[in-house]
Amino acid sequence: MAISAKQKVGWSVTNLVVIAWALYAVWWLVALSFKTPASITDGGSFWPTSWSLENYRGIFKLGEFKRSLINSIGIAIISTVIAVILATMAAYAIARLRFPGKGLLIGMSLLIAMFPQISLVTPLFNIERTLHIFNTWPGLIIPYMTFSLPLAIYTLSAFFREIPWDLEKAAKMDGATPAQAFRRVIAPLAAPGIFTTAILVFIFCWNDFLFSISLTSTTASRTVPAELGFFTGNSQFEQPAGSIAAASVIITIPIIIFVLLFQRRIVSGLTSGAVKG
Amino acid sequence: MSVAADASEATAIAGQPGAALSEGAKSERRLGWLLCAPAVIVMLLVTAYPIIYALYLSFRRDDLRFPKQSKFIGVDNYVTVLNSPVWWHALAVTAAITAISVVIEFVLGFGLAFVMHRAIWGRGGVRTAILVPYGIVTIAAGLGWQYAWTPRIGWLWSLTGGGAPLTHTYQSIAAIILAEVWKTTPFMALLLMAGLALVPEELLNAAKMDGATAWARFRKVMIPVMKPAILVALLFRTLDAFRIFDNIYALTGGSNGTGSVSFIGYDNLFVALNVGVGSTISVLIFVCVAIIAFTFIKLFGTATPGRDVEGKR
Amino acid sequence: MTRRRRAGNPRRRRRVGALAASLATAGSLLVACGGSSGGPVKLTFYDQPGSATATQANADACTKASGGRYKVDYQKLPTDADQQRLQLVRRMAAHDSTVDIMGLDVTWEAEFAEAGWAEPWTGANATKAKADQLPGPLATATYQGKLWAVPYNSNTQLLWYRGDLVKKAPTSWDQMIQQAQQLKAAKKPYYIEEQGFQYEGMTVWFNSMVASAGGTILNDAGTKVALGPPALLALETMKKLATTVADPQLANAKEDDGRLAFESGVAAFEINYPFVWASMQKNKPKANGVDLAKNFKYAPFPAVKAGSPAKSTIGGIDLAVSPYSKHKQLAFDAAVCLAGKTNQLIGATQGGLPPTLKSLYDKPPKDFVKQYPFYKIVYRQLLNAAVRPQTPAYQSVSIAISHALSPPAKINPEKTLTSLKGQISDALDSKGLIP
Repeated sequence: MAISAKQKVGWSVTNLVVIAWALYAVWWLVALSFKTPASITDGGSFWPTSWSLENYRGIFKLGEFKRSLINSIGIAIISTVIAVILATMAAYAIARLRFPGKGLLIGMSLLIAMFPQISLVTPLFNIERTLHIFNTWPGLIIPYMTFSLPLAIYTLSAFFREIPWDLEKAAKMDGATPAQAFRRVIAPLAAPGIFTTAILVFIFCWNDFLFSISLTSTTASRTVPAELGFFTGNSQFEQPAGSIAAASVIITIPIIIFVLLFQRRIVSGLTSGAVKG
Repeated sequence: MSVAADASEATAIAGQPGAALSEGAKSERRLGWLLCAPAVIVMLLVTAYPIIYALYLSFRRDDLRFPKQSKFIGVDNYVTVLNSPVWWHALAVTAAITAISVVIEFVLGFGLAFVMHRAIWGRGGVRTAILVPYGIVTIAAGLGWQYAWTPRIGWLWSLTGGGAPLTHTYQSIAAIILAEVWKTTPFMALLLMAGLALVPEELLNAAKMDGATAWARFRKVMIPVMKPAILVALLFRTLDAFRIFDNIYALTGGSNGTGSVSFIGYDNLFVALNVGVGSTISVLIFVCVAIIAFTFIKLFGTATPGRDVEGKR
Repeated sequence: MTRRRRAGNPRRRRRVGALAASLATAGSLLVACGGSSGGPVKLTFYDQPGSATATQANADACTKASGGRYKVDYQKLPTDADQQRLQLVRRMAAHDSTVDIMGLDVTWEAEFAEAGWAEPWTGANATKAKADQLPGPLATATYQGKLWAVPYNSNTQLLWYRGDLVKKAPTSWDQMIQQAQQLKAAKKPYYIEEQGFQYEGMTVWFNSMVASAGGTILNDAGTKVALGPPALLALETMKKLATTVADPQLANAKEDDGRLAFESGVAAFEINYPFVWASMQKNKPKANGVDLAKNFKYAPFPAVKAGSPAKSTIGGIDLAVSPYSKHKQLAFDAAVCLAGKTNQLIGATQGGLPPTLKSLYDKPPKDFVKQYPFYKIVYRQLLNAAVRPQTPAYQSVSIAISHALSPPAKINPEKTLTSLKGQISDALDSKGLIP
């Protein structure tokens, strides 16, 4: 079908409008992070009048920010790995096997996903104090992986249902046990889905704010979203907008990288489970 | 965000050949339990106690500032909360934010889904761009919006002609809705786009030939096919929007009467340290969320996610 | 646990590694062997991060001065006061023995005392803590006749104004509003900057206004609402400002918004803490060719009622000792050291925090005078300060106040006062929900 020039222009304009809507606010935050304290009150200009790395230098001079960045990365990766392993096993069972109690499992996940998280913070704090894992990496990894499990199981079981499972049957006919069929046939086929789920879970863990401000107290385990609450200006009343913007930009970078590299996967991960029945 | 019922229906498919191998049925059952056990154990260990504890606290007078006065008081906390204008105001604010933002997201999301589905070029670019708001750290985005409204610093402040934004209730709620819509429309759009992909092109063309208007084609052909996608998108977003907290925290701090139910829950738990009343609010939020989920599923009936698996077969 | 590990000696570190498999065991063992390994006892000191460099310097100085008895380990609390309190409350409610010294905002003492989250100061400790302290700061650390903390630093709001626009500083709110109206008529910058956002700063404003009008929010025992005619006058004045010459941003303004507005040149007056002075000298902004730093003048907090002295609300931090600390006496000693003269001077010159000690104002060191040319006003205001209501339910009371008065332009003095009385009463009884 021939595409008329008019159509092309029309779509270009539409696309540009959508992209501007999605990215303008993010760009503006980036611009803000490059403004100097003196030029910050420039009425919200789109382009800094004078570019400065001062804010970035400032936050990286603080050992605390670097430390929280390491915490963020480490905790998110470990939580993601564990959550995805557990979810893979459960999702496989849900998608492929017949066993009683499945409804209960699904109901429980629903409950966890729907319960207001703020009400879980205080009891979790008390438990973690008792177990001496408050303000440690495990203290955040455990809630992160738990609360991302529903999302992970949901996405993965959707992926698993699309795997050509005749192959599994063939493997079983060749004498493989269900466990072997899982390991040798399904697992490799499931890898793309698992990878996609891992990205979604990572974003979920990376994003958390509430648990991090509640279950940490020092830089031993505090992640960047919570660390933003510790940024100070020259005095206790000054709001360091520039440094907070710079830190926000830093923690947005991994998201941008993921999105650029794995756009297709993320889209399929978000959509496949929900719709394709 | 949840394991919808579709997973369980999948058994129907998986189960048939399994049943034929009655030898394997037992080991299959055992394997099923074994594979699910770690996830179940983790979820139970981490959440069961907190959830039950919250329920227990909601029946007690329990104020951290007055530890000696702790005692069981039955449903008094529920009476207090349900008689308080504060709760009803917060509920109204939450309902308004939820309804308005979900409707806007749905309309915008549909448009966006259509663009991504139909654009003759640049689809990848658009998809990549809209994933950024979806993925960006919520608190960073919230602060970004807050700075955008800050006098002399922000672009939205300049754009709206200076003045004093975020100082009136409706204005503040509009700003909260804007931040919410910006962040979550992409999610809605992607789900709807996946739904659009299911609409058979031939069916649309046939309808066009029969002289159906665009509106009729949309209503009679597209909507029915997309029903499951629409339900999931609306359900997820409604449940999420109802628990809105981060954006309010970052934008208004609950001032000018913009506190949502989660926000007053947070304030009563963590600022007033009134654990009893705070837990009661949490339980009530949960009840509201459950009612919303139930209503959706009732309204859409068999279109519940996954139910169509059997229907199609 | 990790904190201990970081500070621990190599032997302890190895032990952690060996026991990593069993977190719970490792945790309890570490607690058990904390401090028993010789060397100085580690005292963990939680304080706000706003003047971290000075606070760290204080901690190091006291570690050194203890002669090896203890080591003060300063841990920052979040920037936001509510978050600071939350961190401490959670730990106290969980009987956390790893907290030794707590930097309490001057409004938390009653709450911490009532809940048993602060160790009372008695005998020799109390005597040392009270020595040289000004009455205003000391009042914030006292609840029901007992001392619960030692004042560490203080704060008070002054009136800042543009010398090029205002010839003579106003001494009352009416005068200030009148002068601003004249500036407005003359098409000159005229805004008055105050804190009108719905938060603690609004309560501070109201408290200063009520106190300056000769009243109090609660009765002396902190058990009942007082308010009355002074509160009515306070509300009328606040409404007058909000509806005439306040910055239109008033309902959204916190301390830093006032500073930024003033530095951008739109305002003629500003009620704020002394941090605005240091910032003005550092940024040296210009507006329409006027060097604002050169024309930045100060005056005492304005009066509300003729014949009644102005009273500005007192802020700052008091140091309390945790009742769950394993080394209470050492913690008392360290707190006294931290709040001592040399350390308060460091806090003032490096951290911009007004000291609480009389001798520092009587015979001020040179660098103090240089940074605090207005120190005499601060001193007078601390001698005659307005203390915020002292009640365990302070947070609820404060929220009730800021909620009832927000936005300030909508204040309807008589009606607002009636509803305020009811809401504060409920808050005192911890009845109902907080908005």
